[in-house]
Amino acid sequence: MKFWWLSWKDLLLIVRDKKALLTLILMPLLLIAILGSAFGDMMKEEETISIEKFTLGVVNLDQGPLSQVLTDDVLSKKLSKQIKVKYYQEDELYSRIKNHKLEVGIIIAKDFSQALMNGNGTKVKLISVPDTVIKSTIVQNVLEQFSRSIPIEAAVSQIAQPVQGGEQNSFVQEGYGENDLLKETTVDAKTIPVSSFQYYAAAMGVMFLLMTVVQGVSMMILEKEQEVFKRLLLTNLTYPNYLLGKLLGLIILCLMQASIIIVGTSLIFGVDWGESLSGIMLLTFAFVVNACGLGVLAGSFIKTEKAFNVAGMFGTQIMAALGGSMAPLYIFPDWVVFVTKILPNGLALQTYLKLMSGAAVSDILPAFAGSIVLGIAFFSIGLFRLSLERRGKYA
Amino acid sequence: MSMLTVQDLQKSFGKFEAVKGVSFTVEKGESFGLLGPNGAGKSTMINMITGLYPPTSGEIHMKDIDVIKSPKQAQKWIGVVPQEIALYQSMSARENLRFWGRMYDLSGNSLEKSIDQVLEIIGLTERAKDKVETFSGGMKRRVNIGAAILHKPELLIMDEPTVGIDPQSRNHILETVKRLNSEGMTIIYTSHYMEEVEYLCERIGIVDYGQLIASGTLRELRESIGDHSRIFLTIEKDHLSEEKLTKSLLGFFPEKNFELQDHQVMVFHKEPQLILSDFIQLVTQTGTKITSVNIVEPNLESVFLHLTGRKLRD
Ligand SMILES: Nc1ncnc2c1ncn2[C@@H]1O[C@H](COP(=O)(O)OP(=O)(O)OP(=O)(O)O)[C@@H](O)[C@H]1O
Ligand SMILES: [Mg+2]
Repeated sequence: MKFWWLSWKDLLLIVRDKKALLTLILMPLLLIAILGSAFGDMMKEEETISIEKFTLGVVNLDQGPLSQVLTDDVLSKKLSKQIKVKYYQEDELYSRIKNHKLEVGIIIAKDFSQALMNGNGTKVKLISVPDTVIKSTIVQNVLEQFSRSIPIEAAVSQIAQPVQGGEQNSFVQEGYGENDLLKETTVDAKTIPVSSFQYYAAAMGVMFLLMTVVQGVSMMILEKEQEVFKRLLLTNLTYPNYLLGKLLGLIILCLMQASIIIVGTSLIFGVDWGESLSGIMLLTFAFVVNACGLGVLAGSFIKTEKAFNVAGMFGTQIMAALGGSMAPLYIFPDWVVFVTKILPNGLALQTYLKLMSGAAVSDILPAFAGSIVLGIAFFSIGLFRLSLERRGKYA
Repeated sequence: MSMLTVQDLQKSFGKFEAVKGVSFTVEKGESFGLLGPNGAGKSTMINMITGLYPPTSGEIHMKDIDVIKSPKQAQKWIGVVPQEIALYQSMSARENLRFWGRMYDLSGNSLEKSIDQVLEIIGLTERAKDKVETFSGGMKRRVNIGAAILHKPELLIMDEPTVGIDPQSRNHILETVKRLNSEGMTIIYTSHYMEEVEYLCERIGIVDYGQLIASGTLRELRESIGDHSRIFLTIEKDHLSEEKLTKSLLGFFPEKNFELQDHQVMVFHKEPQLILSDFIQLVTQTGTKITSVNIVEPNLESVFLHLTGRKLRD
């Protein structure tokens, strides 16, 4: 229980430190308000521009007649104001999207026409770079409308039959009968577009939590140089207990800050954090554990508080940028997008966005588990390193 | 069984040898003083005895516990007052004591009772609710001591607990230590103030350059330098009389057991009372005006001076 009293003491000291408290609580809310309203207007413009015209890559593998209707009549003619259709080979399309030369593309499956006529749904694969929520939503809506209307227009006499859950989630398919078609269709859960304010609330929140971790860990390093630390080592408190107490205090602090950011933005600015309260709570907890673990690990490599502060400042900024807190991700090269998911904040931001666009708890469980496991791994390595270092210096 | 046994204790920081093979024993109920100038190695010794630093070599036993092997076990019975204030400034005296008490596994009623007792001992019951940062230096030092005695240690180790504080607080602290010792607590007290060590400690070790250059009771140490007192005569001197004065002094003290400095004559003597009036008369006859006379009994300062040729503090 001693480690808990250590955490409690740390929290008490923070609460009494007015400056620290201000940076912890007021700053994030203030910054989200400023950025949210500034970028909010920009994002609106972006939305109208992108609706005006963008290129859609099409791979048509269909052997039936209906794909022609979709590509020529609907996409090329009816939607000529919004969409410019370009045809590719399958692997070419993939590589273009991977290299961010193209943002959205569809692959029309071999049995597209047949499946549609049989009422087996729309066999179209929609692929896009992350964060092109708006464009892919447009394409998705077009596809859905198309598949709803085609069976009737094409006067296919067969009655649509229920099909057991689709094997491939990324296919816009799963027809459950004409009327339900739209509701049941999901593409990568990007059903509800995320607004700029939501995006920045999550992005800034995640970044501020990183900064709090840096602050907390630098305080831990500072304490090691102080007299109270030596006195602590002389009490019945063991060193692992000491570190555990420190970590717990930091986690609680971060959770407090996260709650304030989430509740604050939703009450003050009406930011919608999604349907799943438990999802948000689990994700927040997992992210905080992950980030604190990483912080302790980083701290175990750096001797002085000053050096850590400098490293922490740069580290946070780089991580925030790579993790999508500064600008949407698709402007970065491929490997960056991949790295993003390994960074605690990148993963957390992506998962927050997922929740905001309507994902349920079950959808974020992999991210939750991954974060927790990573966090514990980081912390364990850090603990090991610190114990070694301490053994060199103290008895 | 002795409370503490230290054998051939040695500590190097890189190439620098801060403690060079020190041995001593402290008996139960005793108060042992470590006296030495700045940088002598007192704190380094203390930090090893309390189990904070591992020694480079040597052995430390607290009762039958091997402090180097199982420091946590020994620390349960040891209270440490560090040289620097080790407290949380934005917490009150009571909150600090409560926190440190908990770190020693105290809780509930016994913790609160212990806190009340300690506040009484350090004389801060009235100020218990005030934050430590609002305290004077002396009050902080008192809380610093309080945090070390909550768990009723058998051995209290104090590293210069009176550095840089006002005489009133200092007296209070000295009284407190004396009282704790008389109630049975074994004390190790380091200082570079010889008066404190003389007042508090039954046995004293003198430390210089990482070595224990002498140890024993005050009397033993005094006798080791022949028990000479010193007579200090402050004078108003002019150049005409200096030669004359030296000449008559040499006649009076043929063993040259005197020193003549600017405005002061210092004489070493075993029984100063016997020669004092003759000595004063002699000086007056040379036409020198005496402004003050002072007799200093042999003390630790003179012992240190005798052993090292240096003063304890400059
Ligand atoms: N961690 C350390 N690294 C290197 N040298 C050290 C360290 N700690 C102490 N020393 C050196 O060891 C010597 C003894 O220091 P120590 O603090 O034990 O002296 P002290 O007797 O307590 O002095 P003071 O009366 O000033 O407190 C000093 O020369 C000091 O510079
Ligand atoms: Mg010291």
